[in-house]
Amino acid sequence: MNLAEGVQLVSLLLLSAMMLGAALGVVLLSNIVYSAFLLGGVFVSISGLYILLNAGFVAAAQVLIYVGAVNVLILFGIMLVNKQRDFTPIPNAWIGKLATGVVCLGLFALLGAMVLGTPWALSTEAAAGDAAIMLIGEHFFSDFLLPFELASILLLMALVGAIILARREFLPDEDLDQPADQVLTLPERPRELVSAGSTGNTADESGDR
Amino acid sequence: MDFANLGAQLNAGTILPEGVVILTLLVILVGDLIVGRTSSRWTPYVAIAGLVGSLTALFYQWDISDPIGFLGGFNSDALSIVFRGIIALSAAVTIPMAIRYIEQSGTSLAEFLVILLTATLGGMFLAGADELVMIFVSLETLSISSYLLTGYMKRDPRSNEAALKYLLIGAASSAIFLYGVSLLYGLSGGETNLNAIASNIVAQGSEPPIGLVIALVFVIAGIAFKIAAVPFHQWTPDVYEGSPTPVVAFLSVGSKAAGFALAIRLLVTAFPLVADEWRFVFTALAVLSMVLGNVVALAQTSMKRMLAYSSIGQAGFVMIGLIVGTDAGYASMVFYMLVYLFMNLGGFTCVILFSLRTGTDQISEYSGLYQKDPLLTLGLSVCLLSLGGIPPLAGFFGKLYLFWAGWQAGAYGLVLVGLVTSVISIYYYIRVVKMMVVKEPQEMSDAVKNYPEVRWTLPGMRPLQVSLVLAVVATSLAGILSNPLFTLANNSVTNTPLLQSSVAMTQDAGAPVQLADAEINQ
Repeated sequence: MNLAEGVQLVSLLLLSAMMLGAALGVVLLSNIVYSAFLLGGVFVSISGLYILLNAGFVAAAQVLIYVGAVNVLILFGIMLVNKQRDFTPIPNAWIGKLATGVVCLGLFALLGAMVLGTPWALSTEAAAGDAAIMLIGEHFFSDFLLPFELASILLLMALVGAIILARREFLPDEDLDQPADQVLTLPERPRELVSAGSTGNTADESGDR
Repeated sequence: MDFANLGAQLNAGTILPEGVVILTLLVILVGDLIVGRTSSRWTPYVAIAGLVGSLTALFYQWDISDPIGFLGGFNSDALSIVFRGIIALSAAVTIPMAIRYIEQSGTSLAEFLVILLTATLGGMFLAGADELVMIFVSLETLSISSYLLTGYMKRDPRSNEAALKYLLIGAASSAIFLYGVSLLYGLSGGETNLNAIASNIVAQGSEPPIGLVIALVFVIAGIAFKIAAVPFHQWTPDVYEGSPTPVVAFLSVGSKAAGFALAIRLLVTAFPLVADEWRFVFTALAVLSMVLGNVVALAQTSMKRMLAYSSIGQAGFVMIGLIVGTDAGYASMVFYMLVYLFMNLGGFTCVILFSLRTGTDQISEYSGLYQKDPLLTLGLSVCLLSLGGIPPLAGFFGKLYLFWAGWQAGAYGLVLVGLVTSVISIYYYIRVVKMMVVKEPQEMSDAVKNYPEVRWTLPGMRPLQVSLVLAVVATSLAGILSNPLFTLANNSVTNTPLLQSSVAMTQDAGAPVQLADAEINQ
């Protein structure tokens, strides 16, 4: 084993340990802010793995998108809604946790067996390395042109949708033919009579809820 | 790679119908931005015109000589054309019923139309997508716009709940689907084109690797979520109850049609090695959907929830055609989706009309409606009876064709389950009809007693009336005059090379299948 291979092995082990530790922390810690920061750690370690695999562009994209956008968004979400509240412990909660653990372990065993037992068709070509950017660009403008362009429509629509959800609505004045509590709601009355405005004759049979 | 000739190689004419839809949605978006709120006077009609234009473009693509576009990314064969047509048509029928509904709730119409058109676009691309990346991006376009539409009534807690549930379950199922798709990519040695995947996997040996089975299971989980097959249906009732009703109408027809198109193309093309396995899994899904959907629908008190469970059951019927995998099977699927479009959208039009006038969708509130609004009663009765499969309405012929195709191919058990459950379904459909028609005047519900005078002159009511009448006429006539639809469905299957090779393979394998000449009506 020469020096380069040794460095690679050590960094692989280091990154894997970092990733697994951080991932366990995300799941097991009860403070959600710690979990969110540790999630950033998971993403960074994954991008380190990409660098080891000679995929520099993917590593950069991973840091930019997952750490820079997704994780920051999660943190914003947590800090905007974070209300300190103590939940009463549920009796026998360990049964649920145990069941979840068993299911996850079973799934892991299944996927592990699948990964080991499948004859993967591995490519013999050398990794593209830094030329990957050019290859990706060529693909974007040849055989992946259509999904690439469709993604722009998807982003446009996501933009419109986000604005719709977040904007302050212009509520019509009271003198219109509908009371203000009906604006931006479904025309159907809710089954449980919670709103004060309705006259109250909805059949109170509850369905299968 | 030769970039100079790329323009010619792309064969971009194959996505002309989608291009028309994109143009329409940009016109609406920019027009609304410039004009402001008064744009709601013309935007719905622009949207309908755009969708009709897209349908016209689809019509002229029918006999296209080279259907493969974008270097294998998009396939505009007859099957995809017919499914894209169903999706575009369902959006075009949904828009007239949405105008009044959206106006009355005070939300803005143009953005609703833009998101609806994007969902349509995603569905149309999904129906023709022939490559994994394209499949995933178009699936997400359809899903994300559906989540936004579901949560459109943002001050209503039910709508919020529906959107959140749909988003969470949908994101989970997308992730599972993506994992399965990534396994396919790995198994085929780095191919994303469906045909290349299949040939690469077949070339590696006759024994299907275990990874392929796991990929199949994960992919089916994603598809079954989209078509709301039991046991991936838990989101359906809550989402249907909490969404704006026009959105429910689109989800139950357009989104489902896209899911079925994806199912046919992906399963038939990429999984020929495990064809028996996926047929088996879908048999289980179909039986569960038919039984659970139709039995639970019996206990519902809300019309939207009842239609939700009924749509689960209907999806179970359609799956019979997918499972048998003969010419007649696929053709009966297409035919049933066409018929289902009219009867289900007609039913939802009536439900919207009733809830706009009375503000409720409880089934018990429909009692005695006949005395106050005969047109609505007639429309709802025709559509529900057709959904139940009462002759001579369209739904009867659709079910007959499905069951006949199943019986021909030897799927006796499935057909028997289908027959029994459609008898059950007739009960809950007729219950509503009975509630409306045979109640005496003194048994009238309060909502019907206070029924407002029928005025079609209110803004947005005229399109609703037109779409109601159209759906009723189509539902009643498509049964008796169904020959053009039969021909369309059969041609779409016989003109699709993908299905022809798969049918031939099924027969070579010695399955008890007779190539059925699909001329059972008349």
